Amino acid sequence: MTKNLLKIDYEKYSLANGLQVILYPDQSFPLVAVNVWYRVGSANEKPGKTGFAHLFEHMMFQGSQNIPKEGHFRYVQEAGGSLNGSTSIDRTNYFETVPANYFELPLWLESDRMGFMIPGLTQEKLDNQKDVVMNERRQHYENQPYGLAWEKLFSNLFSSDHPYSWPTIGWMEDIAKFDLGDVKEFFNTYYCPNNATLVVGGNFNVPKTKDLIEKYFGSIPKGNTPPEVKTSRQYLSQTKKIILEDNVQLSRIYLAYHTEKAFSANDAALDILSDILTSSKNARLQKSLVFEKQIVQDISSFQYSAKLDGSFIIVSTAKPGIELEVIKKEIEDEITNLISNGITDDELMRAKNSLKSSYIYSLQKLDLIVDHLNHYNYFLNEPDSFVFDLSRYENVTKEEVVEAAKKYLLNHHVELNVIPKN
Amino acid sequence: MIDRSTAPAPEKSLLFNLPEVKELELANGIKLFFVRKEKLPIIYTDVLVLAGSKFDPQNKRGLGYLTSLLIDEGAGEYDSLQLSDEFEKLGSIFSVTSNHDLISMTLLSMKENFNRSLDLLSKIILTPRFEETDFLREKKKVLDRILQLKDEPSFIASTVFEKILFGETFYAYPEIGYEDTVNEISNNDVKKFYHDIFTAANSKFIVVGNLTEEEAVEQFNKYLGGWNGSPKTSVAFEMPKRNPTKFFFVHKENSAQSEIRVGHIAKKRDAADYIPTRIMNTILGGQFSSRINHNLREEKGFTYGASSVYQYYQNAGSFEVSTAVNIENTGASVSEIIKELEGIRKNISPEEIEFAKSYLIKQFPSRFETYSQVAKNIEQLLIHNLSVNELADYTAKIEAASNEEISKSALENVFPDELVVVAVGDREKVSAQLKDVSGNNAVEVDNSGNVLN
Repeated sequence: MTKNLLKIDYEKYSLANGLQVILYPDQSFPLVAVNVWYRVGSANEKPGKTGFAHLFEHMMFQGSQNIPKEGHFRYVQEAGGSLNGSTSIDRTNYFETVPANYFELPLWLESDRMGFMIPGLTQEKLDNQKDVVMNERRQHYENQPYGLAWEKLFSNLFSSDHPYSWPTIGWMEDIAKFDLGDVKEFFNTYYCPNNATLVVGGNFNVPKTKDLIEKYFGSIPKGNTPPEVKTSRQYLSQTKKIILEDNVQLSRIYLAYHTEKAFSANDAALDILSDILTSSKNARLQKSLVFEKQIVQDISSFQYSAKLDGSFIIVSTAKPGIELEVIKKEIEDEITNLISNGITDDELMRAKNSLKSSYIYSLQKLDLIVDHLNHYNYFLNEPDSFVFDLSRYENVTKEEVVEAAKKYLLNHHVELNVIPKN
Repeated sequence: MIDRSTAPAPEKSLLFNLPEVKELELANGIKLFFVRKEKLPIIYTDVLVLAGSKFDPQNKRGLGYLTSLLIDEGAGEYDSLQLSDEFEKLGSIFSVTSNHDLISMTLLSMKENFNRSLDLLSKIILTPRFEETDFLREKKKVLDRILQLKDEPSFIASTVFEKILFGETFYAYPEIGYEDTVNEISNNDVKKFYHDIFTAANSKFIVVGNLTEEEAVEQFNKYLGGWNGSPKTSVAFEMPKRNPTKFFFVHKENSAQSEIRVGHIAKKRDAADYIPTRIMNTILGGQFSSRINHNLREEKGFTYGASSVYQYYQNAGSFEVSTAVNIENTGASVSEIIKELEGIRKNISPEEIEFAKSYLIKQFPSRFETYSQVAKNIEQLLIHNLSVNELADYTAKIEAASNEEISKSALENVFPDELVVVAVGDREKVSAQLKDVSGNNAVEVDNSGNVLN
């Protein structure tokens, strides 16, 4: 039954200009979701010009030839819809969910900025959004407890020329420097139809929508093939320990290990490993450090896998008076124990059952489904991969989980200690 | 060639069937609100207990919150870890949230595991263990969390704002409590709270899912139909008064931004002009294209975002503008916010009203997409003792609100001369800027809103 539910009926084709289109009709609710992925993220930036993919995403809401500043919000909200965009290391997405009878509106909006963004640009708009983004950075990084930890961690895990070494939002001094020339060049390089995929999902008429997609997007000229991000796999030659003082009451330890990229051989096993270590009260590190010994306030872990590389991260906040060294030792002991003695059938079953139902629960929201279709299409070139994705986890064995831990969690790593100032 | 110069018109109007909410009753008299939703084989349950931190004794602030943390730390034959394990084996997601007015327990499960999941939920409700070891661990966690909250400017700003706004009433206190009041709480206090306040008489059930009405009644009666006990409780509340505008700040050394809250006491949810006020606030600060966000973000670049909200508690209401701005623009931001509050009282254009109405009416169907969304729409009405029929009337009422009513709602719900203004940021930068705006020295308060000398 699960498999039937997770099977997605879709149609995929390309326009003459290279724009990929994925249609997912689903008449169960009167909404239509439109979701565009551009295959560009902060990994496409260069040192000294970091944060640009994200700033550019902001500029995409500042209007284009036929859409005024803030027009995207006004049109979509007036229609009762919702909209946003997001930037990650590997891609940038833009999405609208509208009442089904407004399905044409997002096609008009998305095509105008894909084809005619430059005529809407002004210095004033750029200056305004640089201020907004610098405030976004202050709000979520500088002015947050532990807010600077992640960029510290990744800029040490990867060498400075690796595209995953800088934060997606960029370094403050880089954000301040961008000019209109940068915007135009970035647009011309990456925002062409042949570097994008358009997903339309929900309650719409397929032939009519196909005609409209051709009408709105078909005449946008194909661009040059964007340059590939080139990088080599990196390994730390030694373990690094970094201390960061911050305005915090409790110390926090971050451990980062190199692992593997998304959908690679050990990726699913590493996800299950993180579940077994920290995802519930009964998970090993939770049970030992939070529940029994009570030496940490919280602990979490995850396999952070992306297009070019991956890492396994463990984060834990110390209880007052507990040294981070003690916590690190406990974590390492648990990992060693897992590697020596293996995991149980029960642990594996718990992880798999939770994953299985979470896939079904995720089918409640159309905007999540269409974003997932783009996600699978980007990584696997096959939008209908829910069943495949779930089977990756169902096929993981106890031995594979242990092997993945052994292969990666005994290696050199980065240890970051965030400690109270003074 | 196509004409790209104008937005495409919508197709014929939308076909949307509002889900039917059935109000049923269990053997013990508890109301069960039922919605059948068949798309997926899942069932969402929400147990709403009107037993929030408003019932905390004065010297034991944080009791209701701690009770909500302990309620699922072991029940019936299962200890804390075993209970969690049972839910995981089923792939069911159980969670507890709480606030001043309520404790809400929700359960998302596959249909095939619903009966067993409901069985577990009933054990949590009927036979929580409240063991001393669990109590000590969770209490220590709360105390350490209170310590951590000293680092979070947005929490401090909201806490201080509410403390000043609500004076000596129970909405003035953070739900989590204070270090000294949490220290006062014993496991017996938790058991007493559970016995006296966390009761069947204070509770309502909501279920949204792929099951029939008969199945729902049968299963809820089987597992929870015997829940009885102490009578309904209430606690006295006197609505605080608004006072002439006053500025406050909390010192946060070297902060990159200041967290700002501006607002005042407002009417309750059941006010006659709720609908016009909602339309008015949509224009003022209720969504991205609002006046406040447009001004502070899209024109000035002071912030990543700014918004205003009417917050409806069970016994009171508040109006609150929130934003975080770079510290140099603290004073300018407060001025602009006050200017917007004055402005909305002077003039609202027909175009703005048309936009806001269209937004609220047309987004209504999307509020019923997920199982939990449907349940939360019902929950919001039950908290305020309103009929579920309000859902059916909602869009017609928006449509019917006149321009005069909407303009009048600004005059009767926005009070720019009776504001509490709070900024959390570095004293050196913030205090002079606030003085420039108000003409008076801003009052310095601590993290909890107590005045410092």
